[in-house]
Amino acid sequence: MNSIRPSMALLTVRSHKTALLCTAGMALLIVLAVVSLFTGKYPLTWQGLAGGDGMQLRVFYTLRLSRTAVGLIGGFALGAAGFVYQTVFRNPLASPDVIGVTSGASAGAAAGILFLSGAAAVTAASFAGALAAMGLALALSALDQSGKQATIVLAGIAVHSLAQTALMCLKLTADPERELASIEYWIMGSLNGISGYSIGGNLLLCAVCVAVLFLLHRQVVLLSAEEGEARMLGVSVGKLRLAVLLVATLAVSAVVSLTGLISFVGLLAPHGARLLTRRNDAGTMLLGGILGGVLLTGADILARSVAATELPVSIFTSLLGAPFLIVLIVRGRKGYE
Amino acid sequence: MHINRLLSLLLAGAVVLSLAACGSPAAGTATAGAPASSSQQEQPLLLADDPLTPETAAATTYPVIVTDQAGRKVTVSSEPRRLVSSYYISTSMLIALGLQDRVVGVENQPEKRPIYALSAPEFLELASIGTAKEIDLEACAALKPDLVVLPLKLLDSAESLEALGLTVLYVNPENQQLLEEALTLLGVATNTQARAADLIAFSDAQADRLADVLAGVAKPKVYLGGNSDFLNTAGAAMYQSDLITMAGGINVAAEITDTYWVQTSYEQVLAWDPEYIILASDATYTVADVLADPNLEGCTAIETGHVYQIPGNAEAWDSPVPGGILGAVWLAGILHPEQCPADETAEVIDEFYQTFYGFTYSEIA
Repeated sequence: MNSIRPSMALLTVRSHKTALLCTAGMALLIVLAVVSLFTGKYPLTWQGLAGGDGMQLRVFYTLRLSRTAVGLIGGFALGAAGFVYQTVFRNPLASPDVIGVTSGASAGAAAGILFLSGAAAVTAASFAGALAAMGLALALSALDQSGKQATIVLAGIAVHSLAQTALMCLKLTADPERELASIEYWIMGSLNGISGYSIGGNLLLCAVCVAVLFLLHRQVVLLSAEEGEARMLGVSVGKLRLAVLLVATLAVSAVVSLTGLISFVGLLAPHGARLLTRRNDAGTMLLGGILGGVLLTGADILARSVAATELPVSIFTSLLGAPFLIVLIVRGRKGYE
Repeated sequence: MHINRLLSLLLAGAVVLSLAACGSPAAGTATAGAPASSSQQEQPLLLADDPLTPETAAATTYPVIVTDQAGRKVTVSSEPRRLVSSYYISTSMLIALGLQDRVVGVENQPEKRPIYALSAPEFLELASIGTAKEIDLEACAALKPDLVVLPLKLLDSAESLEALGLTVLYVNPENQQLLEEALTLLGVATNTQARAADLIAFSDAQADRLADVLAGVAKPKVYLGGNSDFLNTAGAAMYQSDLITMAGGINVAAEITDTYWVQTSYEQVLAWDPEYIILASDATYTVADVLADPNLEGCTAIETGHVYQIPGNAEAWDSPVPGGILGAVWLAGILHPEQCPADETAEVIDEFYQTFYGFTYSEIA
């Protein structure tokens, strides 16, 4: 636990190594962003774009640019939020599902597919589902006045099960040929339906939440300390934990309601970052975000280009992420706690 | 790709060989006369693989052994009087074969299929025996059916149903050829061979007519939007793709070889730039939604307003139901109105439903 004990040395990005890693990560992210802008089924050319070809410009601005933006910002948010979850819960396996958010989003999306019409309505319903799950988990945990960290995890597990049950009931009533297929496709997660007309609100919310998380970075790291220590440092643990989780969950909800479920990014990116920096500070959180962006953008480039069809992006986040994590663990086992 | 082609060639070879082996004498054995003496020796009849034609159709002599579409040899001991079916396509086949009075159980939620309300409203009141994905064994047995017709997906239930003493036939009408095979199978098993032959002949005649009138015409590019999502489409291996080809169009997604709906993207649709966008019959979105979708701006089909939905007033014509050929007939009317005028199309559709389902389509459309 020493490595994540709060101390002044860990509260700011001072490590030369961390800065270097973040710079390298940013460079990789920029390269991937450029590749992403020029990868896709519609043939875009420099000449066409520069020459003002209406169709090419439309594809570039409404489809390619927005898809790339969701990959970058969405991946960053999942990575940074994952860091927050793992730090706040002091649990390396923590992820948005610990408090049932992604299950809530799935159930919401399923309800949207069954009872509403249009992609925007499904996104809204999924977002509402995620918020409802989070609200319920936090409300349940508030019933226990002791403010124990385990309470929120237990409440989350209960909400997760409830949301899964709701999802199952919705699937049961769905028409197998149409709605059930839609629900399954949604759950698989993909960025194929992303367009400039549908992402504005979600991306803005996501960016604001991520900004708030970085503003609160000192408090986030403090939350990883033993509760007694945090209290001694003048932190109101219960309230702060709720506030931080709320913001992180909002960011995740904004992403998954847009893309469907994306596995592994929220879990892997922060682990990768910690294994690389061997720290648990704001710099590591930044690196976690960058790795999240790299992972999601890279996976999405593959999802849209390796086959004649669009493949679920989670296949590639897992395929790219798992070996990376294993290499890091094998190489850095000694220094990692 | 190569493996698929090789498999197709092998299959084609196998079909040719089996046809040659069966030849006309085998088709002849599907007549009532041949087994008259053999039935006394309890030597049941084996069904030939050829689809029935009005010439080969005859009365079935029981007991009869048929090979169902799971490849199982099934003995039907006497003409079935009580039928159940858990799959909308096989249920619709039973109506088309004129067997609706013998049906005692159908799949869940029959109210979702308008064809039942139009031609066999009593189906809405019948007991349910499950779905195309799960059968309710007890409910099925309780109906004491003489013949249970199930989709191939439910093959796992075969043993349990046989243990309950039920006679089960599996059908797999995934394309026109398999549909004709399924109709032949049911026609022989239920002693409705002539009707099955008429159904097959109707489809074949329409396919031939379309091939004739559309020979040499320019073929427009067509994008088919799937049931669950506009960005789902059907590759070359799917029934819907055959439908587009038969109607004189080119499926822009034909390069995709998957056998189920696949996901695509707006970019891909724009790159294909279809001249017609056709929505699946059960699409959860509308023609207006597609026309108003800003992401499709600039696509030829949108600019010219050529966005249509396959009608589903009676049944989904983009699925291999007995009237599936009408999907191609209707689409040919959309893509090639000169060669296939609207009144002619309407006449064909009316003739089909009047003959096999007993209602007039133009009155409900």
